[in-house]
Amino acid sequence: MNDDIILDIRNVTKRFAGVTALSDVSLQIRRGEIHGLCGENGAGKSTLMKILSGVYPYGTYEGSVFYEGKELKLEGGSIRQAIASGIAIVYQELTLVPTMTVGENIFLGKEPVENGSINWDKLYAETRDILAKYQLDVKPQAVVRYLGVGKMQMVEIAKALSENAQILILDEPTSALAEAEIEKLMEILDLLKSHGVTCIYISHKLDEFFRITDSVTVLRDGKTVTTQPTQDLTKEKLVSYMVGREMKERFPKGNRKPGEVIFSVENLRAHDPNDTSRIVLDGVNFNLRKGEILGIAGLMGSGRTELVTTIFGEYGKIMQGTIMLEGRVIAAHSAREAMNQGVSLVPEDRKGQGLVLMQSILKNISLANLDQFASLFRIDADAEMAASLQQAKNLAIKAPNLGVPCDSLSGGNQQKVVIAKWLLSNPKILIMDDPTRGIDVGAKYEIYKLMNDLTEKGVSIIMISSELEEVLGMSDRVMVMHEGHSTRTLDIAEATQERIMALATGIALN
Amino acid sequence: MAATTEMGSKKPASGGSSELAKRFRSNIQTYTIILALVAIWAFFALLTGGAFLQPQNISNLFRQMTVTSFLAIGMVFVIVTGNIDLSVGKLAGFVSVVVAYFQANIWYNLIPNQPVIAAILSVIIGLGVGVLFGIMQGYIISFLAVPSFIVTLAGMFVLTGLILLVTQGKTIPANQPGFDLIAQGYLPPLAGWIIAALVIAFLVWNMFRSRQRKRQHGFELPSIALDLATTVFYAALVVAYVYMVNQYKGIQVPVLLLAVAALIMSYVSNNTRFGRYAYAIGGNREAARLSGINIKRSVFLIFVLMGLLAGVAGIVLASYVGYGTIAAGQGYELDAIASAILGGTSTLGGVGTVFGALIGSLIMTSLTTGLQMLNVQPAWQYLVKGLVLVLAVYADVSFKKNR
Repeated sequence: MNDDIILDIRNVTKRFAGVTALSDVSLQIRRGEIHGLCGENGAGKSTLMKILSGVYPYGTYEGSVFYEGKELKLEGGSIRQAIASGIAIVYQELTLVPTMTVGENIFLGKEPVENGSINWDKLYAETRDILAKYQLDVKPQAVVRYLGVGKMQMVEIAKALSENAQILILDEPTSALAEAEIEKLMEILDLLKSHGVTCIYISHKLDEFFRITDSVTVLRDGKTVTTQPTQDLTKEKLVSYMVGREMKERFPKGNRKPGEVIFSVENLRAHDPNDTSRIVLDGVNFNLRKGEILGIAGLMGSGRTELVTTIFGEYGKIMQGTIMLEGRVIAAHSAREAMNQGVSLVPEDRKGQGLVLMQSILKNISLANLDQFASLFRIDADAEMAASLQQAKNLAIKAPNLGVPCDSLSGGNQQKVVIAKWLLSNPKILIMDDPTRGIDVGAKYEIYKLMNDLTEKGVSIIMISSELEEVLGMSDRVMVMHEGHSTRTLDIAEATQERIMALATGIALN
Repeated sequence: MAATTEMGSKKPASGGSSELAKRFRSNIQTYTIILALVAIWAFFALLTGGAFLQPQNISNLFRQMTVTSFLAIGMVFVIVTGNIDLSVGKLAGFVSVVVAYFQANIWYNLIPNQPVIAAILSVIIGLGVGVLFGIMQGYIISFLAVPSFIVTLAGMFVLTGLILLVTQGKTIPANQPGFDLIAQGYLPPLAGWIIAALVIAFLVWNMFRSRQRKRQHGFELPSIALDLATTVFYAALVVAYVYMVNQYKGIQVPVLLLAVAALIMSYVSNNTRFGRYAYAIGGNREAARLSGINIKRSVFLIFVLMGLLAGVAGIVLASYVGYGTIAAGQGYELDAIASAILGGTSTLGGVGTVFGALIGSLIMTSLTTGLQMLNVQPAWQYLVKGLVLVLAVYADVSFKKNR
C-alpha cells in the first residue's frame, strides 16, 4: 500500500434544479488499488462517475478533481476526452454492437487505417494481443451476440484497456453474472491490479468488496460517509454506513407455514422455440407447496430463466413432461393462458421486459390486467385507478402520483411497479426471476418483506436469484439446476453456499 | 377531441398557482405545436393583409385538410406500434377511382335514377375496398412477419398498377348528385349552432362528471377555476369556429365527418384496451408480450383500421375533386406521416396523439394554402414544408433535452 494518489476528488458538489446530488464529496484513490464505492441507489455514485467521465463537464459542478496531480477539466459533449486521458468506464448496461466481432467492437471508432482503408490483420492481431495480455478467454473473430454476458463483459474490459486506461471504473459489473463468471471477473481484476491498473469498483453486492477491494468508500445522500481499508470493515458495518442505521438482519423473518403441494413439474423436457435441435431443458423435476418460497439456484446458462419462461408459456416448446397446478395438468402456450391459470412471472429484465418505461405507473400496473376493468369499448378508468392505487399503497411505491412515468423512478420503485402489475392478477404462483437485481439494500428489504407477506396470504413463490445469500436467506427449499436439469431440492436446513455451488457446477450429484 | 384527451389523463394536480405551469409542462409537446400553428397563421394573416383569416379561406382550409387528416389519424396508430404504412396515399387513390368507376359505369345501368342509393352503395364499396386491402397487408405484416415498411412499399406498387388498370389511364367522373355532398356539402347555419351547443353542453357535463368521479374516489382535484377556464377556452374555440364558417356557407360536411372520426379514434386510443395495447406494443414490445397482449392480433387490427380510414379518405377524395384520376392520392402518405410526426408522434413508437396529428395536418395544409395565396411557386412550397418538419422535430428534441 502506498500513498501515491492518482485521483483526488476534492469537495465536489453537484446540483440539479432544486436537488443536490453530491454535496462536498471528497475521495482519494491510490495508484494501483481496487477501490470499492458503495451506497444505496440515489446516494450519488452514478453522478460522481458521470463527472469523471465528462458527462457532466468541468464547470457544471463545484469543487475540483485532480488526476495525476493536475486538475481534470473535461469538456462537455464527448466522453472521448476522458477516455483519452486514461479514465474508462464499463457500464452496467453493456455498450457493445452485438452484430460485430470482438475485434471490431474493441477498435470501434479507432480502427487502424492505412491509405483510407481498415487494416483488418493489424486490428485482429492487436485484439489478440490485448486479450492474451489480460488472459481473457475470448476469440477475436467471435461475433459478440453469440457470447454470454460474462464474455461480453470481458470484451468491454478489453475495450477499455485497449485505450491504455489508467483508471478503470466498473459500474455494477456483476449484476448480470452468475457465480462462476463473477469468480472469473475477480481473477481478471487481480491480474489488472498486478499490471498496475487502478480500479474503482461499484457494486450492490457487499461480499464482493471483501473479496476484491483494498479500500471502500461509502456514499449516502450525496455525501461521503467514510473511506476505510477493507480489512477494517465488516459487512454489518458497511450496511450501517449505507443506510445510516444498524440493519440487524438483511433478510426479514417470515412467519409462514407452507401447506400441501399445489404445483409440480415432472420430467420436463423442452427445446428452444426457434431451434428444435437445441434442448434447453431436460429432466426438470420439482414441486412447490402452498405459501412456500422455493429458491432456484444455478449458474448463468443452467436453464433457470428458460424453465420459468417455459412454465409461463413464453419460451420453450415442451416435448415431454407434465406441469400440474392444484391437481390439474396445465399447459400454457402464452402469457395470457398462464395468467388465466393463476401463474404470474416477474421477468428478469425490469426495463427490457417488465415495464413500458415511457408510460405512467398507472398504465404499467394495469397493462396485464385491463380485462378486469374493460369491456370491448371502454376501460373503466375509475376502477383501474382504484385498483392500481390499492396496489401502489400495498407495495409502498414512492411517487407523487400514479401519472408519473416509470423512467423517472428509482430501480427499487420500478421493480415494485412490475411486482404490482403481476399481483393485480391475483396469482396462485408468483415466479420472480432475479427480483432484486440492481436495487439498493433498503428496497431489497422491502421486497423481501413483501414476499413474506404474500406467502403468509397463501401465494406460492418461485424465486430465481444469482445471489446465493439471497437464496439462502429467503427460501424454504432450494432447487439447484445444472445444464438444463434439476439436480436436487435441498431443505433450507441442509443448504449451504458450498453445497449449492457443488451441485450447480456439477461437482456433486446430490 | 380536447375533452377526450382530458378524460384520458387522470393526473391529479396539486393546488396553487404553479398548477397551470404544471399542466403546461406535462403537455409541452401539444402546446408547442399549437403555438407553432398560431404563429404560422399570424404570419400569413400579416403578409396577406388579413385575407388568410377571411371566413371563406378558413372554411376552405379546413375542408382541404380532411383527406390527409383521415390518413394521419390512422397513421398515428400505425407509427405508435412501431410500424409504418407507405401505401395509404395510393390506397385512398385506388378507393377513389373504384368509387368513381362504379358511379360512371355501373350504377346507372343497375339502379337508374336512384342517386341516394347509388351514393350509399359507393360508400360501402369504398370502405370495403379499404378494409380488404388493410386485411391483406395486416395479415402479411403481423402473421407472416414481413416488415411493414416492405409490405406497404410493395402495396404502393400494387395499388399504382391497380389504379392504372381501373382507369385505363383516363379520368373518371364521380359527381353524381348526393355523392358530391360528402365533401362539398355544408350544414345550414342553424344546424351549426345546434351542434356547437351540443358540444359545449358535453364539455361542461364532462368537466363536472370528471370532477365528481375524482372526488368519489378520493383523488386530488384540480382547482375549479382552472377546470372552468379550460372548458370556457374550448367552448370559445367551438363558438369562434362555427361563427366563422357560418359567415361563409356553414359547417363543412367533410370536416364534421373528420371530427367524428377523430373523436372516435381519440377515444379508442385513450379509453379502450385496443388503444392501450397499441401504445404498450410500441413502448416496449417485450413487456407487452409478457403481459399477455396478443401482439399479432393488435397489429393486424391496426392495419385493418388504417385500411378503413384510407377507404374513408378515398371516398372523401372522390367526392372532393369529383373525379377519379391516375394521380389520385399521389404523395398523400407522406403528408399523413409528416402530419403525425409534426403532431408529436414518435417514429420510435409508443408516443403520439390523434389530436396532435390533426394539428400537424392543419399546419401542413395552412402552409400550402398560405404560400399559394402569396403566389409562392410549388417548388418553394415543398422546400418550406420540409424545413418546417425538421425544425418542428428539432424544437421538440431540444425541448426534451433541456427539460
